[in-house]
Amino acid sequence: MLDISAVLEEIKASPYTELSVRAPHCGLLTFPGDLKPGDPLSGPVGEWKEKPGTLLATLERERNERPISCEEKGELAALNRELDGCFVEAGTEIARYRHFLSREEVLQLILKRALHLFIAPERAKYYFVPAVDIKFKVSGPKAVTVHDGDELFIMSRMKREASLRYSGPEGVIYAVYFIYNQNVDAGAPLIGVCPPDLVPQVEEAVLRVQTEWTERN
Amino acid sequence: MTNKEHKVLVANRGEIAVRIVRACRKLGLNFVCVYTAEDVESGHVLLAREAGGDKALYRVSSYHDANELLAVADIAGATAIHPGYGFFAEDYRFARRVSRRESKLVFIGPSWRVIRELGDKINTKRLARSLGVPTVPGSDKPIYDEMEAERVARNLYEFQQQQGIEHPVILVKASAGGGGMGIEEVHDIDLFRSVYRRIRNYAARQFKDEGVLIEQRIRDFNHLEVQILAERNCEGVVHFGTRNCSIQSTGLQKRVEVAPGFDSGSVAYRFDADQVLADITMHSLAMAKEVRYDSVGTWEWIVTREGKPYLMEVNTRIQVENGVSAAIARIKGQPGVDIIAEQIRTALGEPLGYTQDDISFSGVGIEYRIIAEDPDNRFTPWVGRIDAFSWKKEDWLSVYTHVPESSAGKPYVIPTEFDPNLALGIVWGENLAQARERGKLFLDNLVLKGANSAGEPLKSNVEFLRRKTEQILLF
Repeated sequence: MLDISAVLEEIKASPYTELSVRAPHCGLLTFPGDLKPGDPLSGPVGEWKEKPGTLLATLERERNERPISCEEKGELAALNRELDGCFVEAGTEIARYRHFLSREEVLQLILKRALHLFIAPERAKYYFVPAVDIKFKVSGPKAVTVHDGDELFIMSRMKREASLRYSGPEGVIYAVYFIYNQNVDAGAPLIGVCPPDLVPQVEEAVLRVQTEWTERN
Repeated sequence: MTNKEHKVLVANRGEIAVRIVRACRKLGLNFVCVYTAEDVESGHVLLAREAGGDKALYRVSSYHDANELLAVADIAGATAIHPGYGFFAEDYRFARRVSRRESKLVFIGPSWRVIRELGDKINTKRLARSLGVPTVPGSDKPIYDEMEAERVARNLYEFQQQQGIEHPVILVKASAGGGGMGIEEVHDIDLFRSVYRRIRNYAARQFKDEGVLIEQRIRDFNHLEVQILAERNCEGVVHFGTRNCSIQSTGLQKRVEVAPGFDSGSVAYRFDADQVLADITMHSLAMAKEVRYDSVGTWEWIVTREGKPYLMEVNTRIQVENGVSAAIARIKGQPGVDIIAEQIRTALGEPLGYTQDDISFSGVGIEYRIIAEDPDNRFTPWVGRIDAFSWKKEDWLSVYTHVPESSAGKPYVIPTEFDPNLALGIVWGENLAQARERGKLFLDNLVLKGANSAGEPLKSNVEFLRRKTEQILLF
């Protein structure tokens, strides 16, 4: 049984993560003139997160300018100003910032420890089988109940596809951790399943986080 | 600009990138390579760094990002781009874009119109039929409707029954697929719909196009290829003979290629094998001339046990197996033919400098694709690290690989993002018997060891290749 109080205290002791911003592709990099370490940063906002966060840099390739905006709210820790006006390669570190955890993120951290995690057996791309995929699209993840032995995923790598069966307790898929068409490393969780006997604990976690966690502006 | 002043962007990875870099060096051309995070330890990165320094290497996010590749081309001062195979090699939009943009680049491959014409399997079929070239019976347009697909499949099934075929089989292929991806057989016509849906879903996921082709599955056939090379101005068109690519994995992917396509001197065939080779070569050349082909390309054929050839498709790019054709080819009597170098040279505008009469063939070549995979489990790719990889050097052997030899002292982790090929071993023999013996010797002396994250030893297809060596060119 997970001790929710202990986990919450642990998170409160270190309530932020330090994130690195890297060039998503190569191109000519320019920074906005007024940005400096210590500045507060905003993440995307709006009902559909349609308004981007603070502009950190612009990366241009083939006359296509790509704004690189902050993905989470936080505080700028470092900016690699020496790269301003340079052609950078993909993966080059541009900036670092500290991000204070939101309620939802804290809840996800706790759920990751509480739920039954079904792990990727190999590094590959994962897709739900079409029947499950349709259920997800129509009714959302919590509408899908899985049983031990269900054919749940298509595992795709190196021109091959293989089906993957779920093994674990029966329950509702509470969280999905993989992204469509992106590789998942071996050992990383694919889904979090909530068995019926765990529902009270999950509900308690949700309630505790809602009442005890204060969002920072 | 003279040809020597060109700088080639190698827009690919692995073994083909290694071969393009070597061809550039042979021709005295500058080059620049790209690599992704997964390929940091790849041989093409090590070779580019060693031969060209850090300025010959740029890290990109993906080999599939055209904007990035072109940005690298500009910053590195590249004037030509070699797409290798896969990725952008058969993308006519990419070929058109690089040749039309402000900083124009030479696309080292066919012109975009030719790729558009022949890159589409259905167009190729239509063109072939218009020239009287035999093609595999089946649909001549992509099918998006399940009812229509089933109707075509049932017609083909009944057609085979009428032909007296005891076990008719239908092939369902992703129209936008290639390289053995998205193909499945239907043995029981009542199960057609489930196979159709599987391929349609696969095609939608992998190629963003749900179109499928329905064809008759011709059994007991050999898969042959004709290697074509044409000048940029389409004036000189030659062939570099035929290849036999019939030894494949269960997923219909090639594992052993042999040149020439048949060897009537060593093997008895039910039909006139030399005539079949002459016919498919003639048809391939006729099509190449008709479309004004202007680079290297491969015409893929299937030949039935009765010796009937059918054109399958045209690959408008350099093929993995080009080296086995080069191994038996002589230009003006000289060995050491490099089809990739010929492709680059002619793409930059040089004339061929020889005619078909100057090309001759000698002996038999065998190409083995060395792959970390489990042949006993449907050729499932094996993932892990390679600790030891080496082979005995011989003057009749060429090995092309991006896996650093053991002497580099560092293990190589196989990236899971790409094709699982590790190396190509090409042996040459004066005749089929000698080529087979040398092939087995090469495989016997090959050292390939490693382990996966669970500590289990590396699985490879080497034993499968050894077993199959006895069956080479038997029909």
